[in-house]
Amino acid sequence: MAEGENSESRKNTVRRRDFLRGGGIALAAGTLGVGVSGVPAPASPQGERAQSYPESTGYIVYDSKLCWGCQSCMFVCSAAHYGVANPALSRIQIVRDAPSFTKYPLDIVMSVCRQCVTPLCVENCPTGAAHVDAENGNVRVIDPKQCIGCRRCIQSCPQRPHRPVWNPDTRKSTKCDLCIDAPYWSRKGGPGGEPACVTSCPSKALKLVSKAPSQEDIAGYDVDLTPAEPASKP
Amino acid sequence: MTYGYTGKIARIHLTTKEISTIDTARYEEFGGGYGIGAAIFWDLAVAPGEWDLKDPYDPRHVLPIMTGPLAATGVPGAGRTSVCGISPETFPTCEFWRANFGGRFATMMKLAGWDGVVIEGRADKPVWINIINDQIKIEDAKELWGLDTWATQDRILSMVGGRTRYGEEWQRIGDAYSTGLPQIVCIGPVGEAKSRLAALIQGSGVSARIGGYGAVFGAKNLKAISVTGTGSVQLADPKSMMDARLWQMEHGGLVTGSFAPASAGSASCNPCLRADRRRNSYYGGETMCVDQFWLDNPEKQELGATLSARASAERDLASKALMRYGASGWATHFLGLFVSDIPGAPEFFNKKVPVETGIGWYIRYLYRIGELGPGKRIDSSPLPMDQWDSLGFRLAFLDAVSNRVGIGEDLAEGCLRAAEKWGRLEKDLESGALRFPAWGATGHWTLPSVEWAYNYLLGAGDPSWHGLVTAVGAPAEGESLENKLRELSRKTIPYTDDIFMFNYAWKGDEAWKTGIYSPHKAKEVAWSRHYASFWNESMAFCEMFLPTLETLTPEIEMKYYAAVTGKKDSFADTLRVGRKIWTLERSIRVMHGRSRKKEVFAPFMYKPGASGMTFWGGVPIYENGTWRSDEAPDMYLDRKGVEDFKTHYYALEGWDRENGWPTRKTLENFGLKKVADVMEKKGRLGA
Repeated sequence: MAEGENSESRKNTVRRRDFLRGGGIALAAGTLGVGVSGVPAPASPQGERAQSYPESTGYIVYDSKLCWGCQSCMFVCSAAHYGVANPALSRIQIVRDAPSFTKYPLDIVMSVCRQCVTPLCVENCPTGAAHVDAENGNVRVIDPKQCIGCRRCIQSCPQRPHRPVWNPDTRKSTKCDLCIDAPYWSRKGGPGGEPACVTSCPSKALKLVSKAPSQEDIAGYDVDLTPAEPASKP
Repeated sequence: MTYGYTGKIARIHLTTKEISTIDTARYEEFGGGYGIGAAIFWDLAVAPGEWDLKDPYDPRHVLPIMTGPLAATGVPGAGRTSVCGISPETFPTCEFWRANFGGRFATMMKLAGWDGVVIEGRADKPVWINIINDQIKIEDAKELWGLDTWATQDRILSMVGGRTRYGEEWQRIGDAYSTGLPQIVCIGPVGEAKSRLAALIQGSGVSARIGGYGAVFGAKNLKAISVTGTGSVQLADPKSMMDARLWQMEHGGLVTGSFAPASAGSASCNPCLRADRRRNSYYGGETMCVDQFWLDNPEKQELGATLSARASAERDLASKALMRYGASGWATHFLGLFVSDIPGAPEFFNKKVPVETGIGWYIRYLYRIGELGPGKRIDSSPLPMDQWDSLGFRLAFLDAVSNRVGIGEDLAEGCLRAAEKWGRLEKDLESGALRFPAWGATGHWTLPSVEWAYNYLLGAGDPSWHGLVTAVGAPAEGESLENKLRELSRKTIPYTDDIFMFNYAWKGDEAWKTGIYSPHKAKEVAWSRHYASFWNESMAFCEMFLPTLETLTPEIEMKYYAAVTGKKDSFADTLRVGRKIWTLERSIRVMHGRSRKKEVFAPFMYKPGASGMTFWGGVPIYENGTWRSDEAPDMYLDRKGVEDFKTHYYALEGWDRENGWPTRKTLENFGLKKVADVMEKKGRLGA
């Protein structure tokens, strides 16, 4: 399903139950499921706190068949945000079945933050650290100053592997901000900008789009980005 | 703070089980990767003088497995892992040599906090090494011994990974989390059998094919090394590193066309993972061409011909078997491409000479002439020689070698050792039926790319370095060859402004005056070694990726190097380090017996039929006052000419004329006084 196949009827707000009807994946296995005492339990998909959010104006879509699995995006993500090379800190995770015993196209899993129309990470954050950044195109971001490291955002993420990333150095959660706050990246990030991973991808397997992809499954995000064949070969 | 390096190297002694640490800073003057590996080999294996450096299976053998400072930094194509030590594969003697492999092993090693591991001793029973960040354990490999390389990795993955399948969820590792899998380098049954044909395998098909170092693992009872890391590598200037990537992309240096090395974009290194959806080939694209086409018989099919579904499946299965058994695609080569008509080619090549031949082709040759077969003088049992080009034959071949059954016992020792045992060595090296140019290494682009041939001779086999072959190729239509070479000569620092170093004239006076036997050619060969020693073998750039002499070299190398390490070296400085590494490598070989008289090509190289083919419009030849590109299919070498070349080359490198041994002055010029002292004590210092 192409990224442009955005439902007009969804308009700018979608309720959480819309996401559920779309068949979102179950909660993550919970390897980071260590909560903080006194913090409310995360809202479950069946919860009553229906809330709507303005849609992000930037989304990264990808082509898992075009990806080489080179991890360039992961290295530049950590370098752009922290100035160090560390894939474990990257907000985009490309998992290649390393011995590659699994054959194409199942050998690579691309884990890209979906900037969910209904962001459960935001909804379940007890402090407002995870929020919709109205000043930057409604991108879902985490303010490190407000994060208390409770990991609710991680527990709430319906994707596997979960998209919010735990930083063991700061003991706080982070997530893809489309390089809005990437101090080591020399270009402008955010919606309409040049996120480090997208710009640095040598296989052009990542693309920044402005309209929300279908939220139903991965088809809205894992799209065909094959470049057009040249009119004639040299 | 040191940038790029993690600062420590693990030293693991399999006999004593002692695990200690080497401070990387002690060796930074050697760059990284192979440079540091060779320096450690000198200190631990050569300098003590307790070992004669002859037997690669001796427990005193030290095997450094090293990364470069640019690995795991986001710099593309610089994630290769270097292995060096006494090679079981080289012939007639086991020489100090090296191999490297791509994949993600080096990347994960750095993220685990190590610049490399040095393996010493021999375990009293099979073991594997488990590295998880700063924790290193020597584990019992009883249940792994006997498994193929894929099963070995699968088993280790399940042991290290726990219950959750990698890729489905983050794994907790200490205080950190990772979606990355452990990276494992291991041996299969061929390595366990201590066959000289053994490779080190990582993933489905990344392998160290040169040198037979899989057999060294086998001799040390070492089945595998697994690494898992979650740490960071510090960058001197992360913004500049990423800007350099973009600069390279914008200037066409990160290619996305088909048949281009995807390592160009890799933060790790997947050397022959091709672009444009060719990930759909050969189990993740991790195997390289020689492995992918292991089953092919170019005598029967056209280059680039479309295979039937069955033939394609069988090709895939053969490649897969090669990797699972852990054999080297080079050392077990069957048959390379036939493209050019070669004047003077032996009859058995039917006028055309294959790019490569190896042990597989040779046994069929002996079968065709009636020397080898069921019940023949050389009994081929258990190989079904009448099914030579079938998948079944390849499987039988691997099985015979790894079990050392029947003829497999001889084959396991490598092609030239087998030929020697069969009493055919001299005859077949003379005719070229054994097309192994020097040191028992399978032939590969040696002529007319004569600088490649000289690299075989001065090293210990195939340099597997393509850095100059395209750069000296025919110019684009309408462009001047002389101008192209003049531009090229400005980059070959410090031997600049001498375009005759690119002259491949091989006949008549010109060959001695400015051609392949002249002092000019010595500069080209020296530059190729100095560049490769630093940038490809120590900074660990894929040699299919850099240099790009026609475009971005040396700017791109220096941008990455400065951004990661923060060092202010010039390109000339880096080449000087490359020369220092090459000089140290030479010194190690001298200590185990290398001398001038041993540096001779196989006899067929001095006869018509020695040349092969070029893909790049030929080599430049200057004769009668003009330059031309010439495929030189009739090229062969002159014995006196090669000796004259060696004299020029030794003089250029500061090695003595009589033996080719580095002099004290040369060694001390590179700060290698301690090396000179040891060599002098052994009576091996150049006069």
